Amino acid sequence: MIGVELRKLFRRPRTWVTIALLNALPVLVAVLLVLTDLAPRPGEGPAFLSAVLTNGTLFPLAALAIVLPLFLPIAVAVVAGDSIAGEAQGGTLRYLLARPAGRTRLLVAKLVAVIAFVLVTVVIVAAVGYVVGTTLFDVQPLATSTGLSGTVLTPEQVAGRTLLAIGYVTISMLGVAAFALFFSTLTDSPQLATLGALAVLIGSSLLFTLDAASAIAPYLPTRYWLSFVDFFRDPVLWRDVTRGIGLQAVYVVVLLGAAWANFTTKDVTS
Amino acid sequence: MASGGRRFGWRWVVVALGLAVLVALPVAVAALPADDTDVSAADLRARALASDDVAFSGYAISTGGLTLPLGDALTPVADLLSDQTTMRAWYRGAEDWRVDVVTATGETGTHRDTDGTWTWDYADQRATRGDEPPLALPTAPDLLPSALGRRLLSEATDAEVTRTAPARVAGRDAVGLRYTPADGAASVSAVDVWLDADTGLPLQVVVRSADTTIPALDTRFLDLDTTEPTAATTSFTPPTDASLGQDQDLTDLDLGRRLADVDLPDGLAGLIRREAEGVPGAIGVYGTGITVLAVTPLPGQAARSLRSQLQATPGAVVDDLGVRISAGPLGLMLIGSRETGAFLLAGTVTLDALATAAQQLSDTTGVR
Repeated sequence: MIGVELRKLFRRPRTWVTIALLNALPVLVAVLLVLTDLAPRPGEGPAFLSAVLTNGTLFPLAALAIVLPLFLPIAVAVVAGDSIAGEAQGGTLRYLLARPAGRTRLLVAKLVAVIAFVLVTVVIVAAVGYVVGTTLFDVQPLATSTGLSGTVLTPEQVAGRTLLAIGYVTISMLGVAAFALFFSTLTDSPQLATLGALAVLIGSSLLFTLDAASAIAPYLPTRYWLSFVDFFRDPVLWRDVTRGIGLQAVYVVVLLGAAWANFTTKDVTS
Repeated sequence: MASGGRRFGWRWVVVALGLAVLVALPVAVAALPADDTDVSAADLRARALASDDVAFSGYAISTGGLTLPLGDALTPVADLLSDQTTMRAWYRGAEDWRVDVVTATGETGTHRDTDGTWTWDYADQRATRGDEPPLALPTAPDLLPSALGRRLLSEATDAEVTRTAPARVAGRDAVGLRYTPADGAASVSAVDVWLDADTGLPLQVVVRSADTTIPALDTRFLDLDTTEPTAATTSFTPPTDASLGQDQDLTDLDLGRRLADVDLPDGLAGLIRREAEGVPGAIGVYGTGITVLAVTPLPGQAARSLRSQLQATPGAVVDDLGVRISAGPLGLMLIGSRETGAFLLAGTVTLDALATAAQQLSDTTGVR
């Protein structure tokens, strides 16, 4: 069933249109940087964007930082919100459930498909960022980069930490996917499920800026999203990275459980 | 129908129970009772002061509750005392440590060695070398609980410290100590320090003022490991493409250069003038412990600018003596005029003590 869902997702043109649109913004930013030579100061603007003028191999990280706050979660919410509600709206859900696999397996297959979408999307954003960065910006074969702590990172270290960052960003999106998937079991409207997940994210981002909400800040789904930057400190700051992974795991477990509790007992008529 | 209802029920019960366990876990961990130790307050204070040879790595957060009407030049100090500062620290000894201020997309690291400090600023891609000036503005490393706790307790007398309840800080048992300044002019009502039960290292410091329940400053470790960090972690070599600079000593700034010599009284508001290393002669420092008042003459332009800022501060008291404000335990007062010259009085004293000091200063110097 997982294979079926994966094939279905990646054969849809809109999946690739979504990924293409996601890449448009970092590419536009890169072109503007090249044309104007105006990068933000280090520590300002999206992470690592300031460094790409002198080292294009860092652009994959800048590209991830550009899409992470808004565009990537929107794409994930759209795909995950569509997973069950889209089938219900299209009248195909009851046919899917006619297969002997059962509702729980369908739910898991949908989640795996969404996770695969997130991973493929993040990897493509990073890959396009690498191609764009090394094409448009200066790259020296033995270039070394200065990390946030002022220590020198070799190209191998940058590559290894970039892979870790890609993995972390993928995990960071699982909470969004879980929210959208849960909402997708509550309604027959994929738009409503997507908007529900986005409302949670906007609320989380807003609360994170308020001192009055500091007591609940460690539990907000967006709290640790930017912690992929911590891979480029020396020594690596694992504290927020591990908390971010743990928090996403909790959201996935709880929301998938709620989705399972709701979906396996729901009257499916469409 | 009935079986559907039961099926609906148990699934949601499982989810609700799982959620309850997950929510309760952090609360239960936070509520774990801390072990106390039967040690006197004076002995605990001595252990804290002797903890400067305890090596550690840690992660700390400092939260300032002061809103200071300071100009652009002192914005970093105002931010330090009014915002949240997140720090990573590695400590091998008093002359071998590193403190990084961590932000979402950057960091500023201070590396201490035997000859001074390197400060790395990622935002400016700049490494700055500094020696150990006797007079310096507060920086993030000063707010690390271990450093601040030792500094504040070093000013206390045994009679001013008492034991308080233990707490769990950074997942460790921490024994409580309260420093209550005895001086009547003090605006700091208490300094609460929690010390690591094993090493005596200050793990949390809370500075309180009498006029509000919100701490003026709360700095604490969230993680602590007493394994000695490697020398490679604390050392620093500037990147080849970084710009290099030299820290400017405060006594080289306008603060020390343009001040006219004045005869300041030996005591103000019941506080005795004391010697302070590196402080220019025109600046008077009064008081003991954490009850300190500094008095400095101000050049005309600086005085006019500060007077405007102070008068615009909510709660400012403006009378014949001058203008004075309090920001938590910190009091500021400006007296004088263009004709007679101006003085700034600043310190951890009450507004009444500031007024008394201003009156005595005016009587002595003729400034009004």
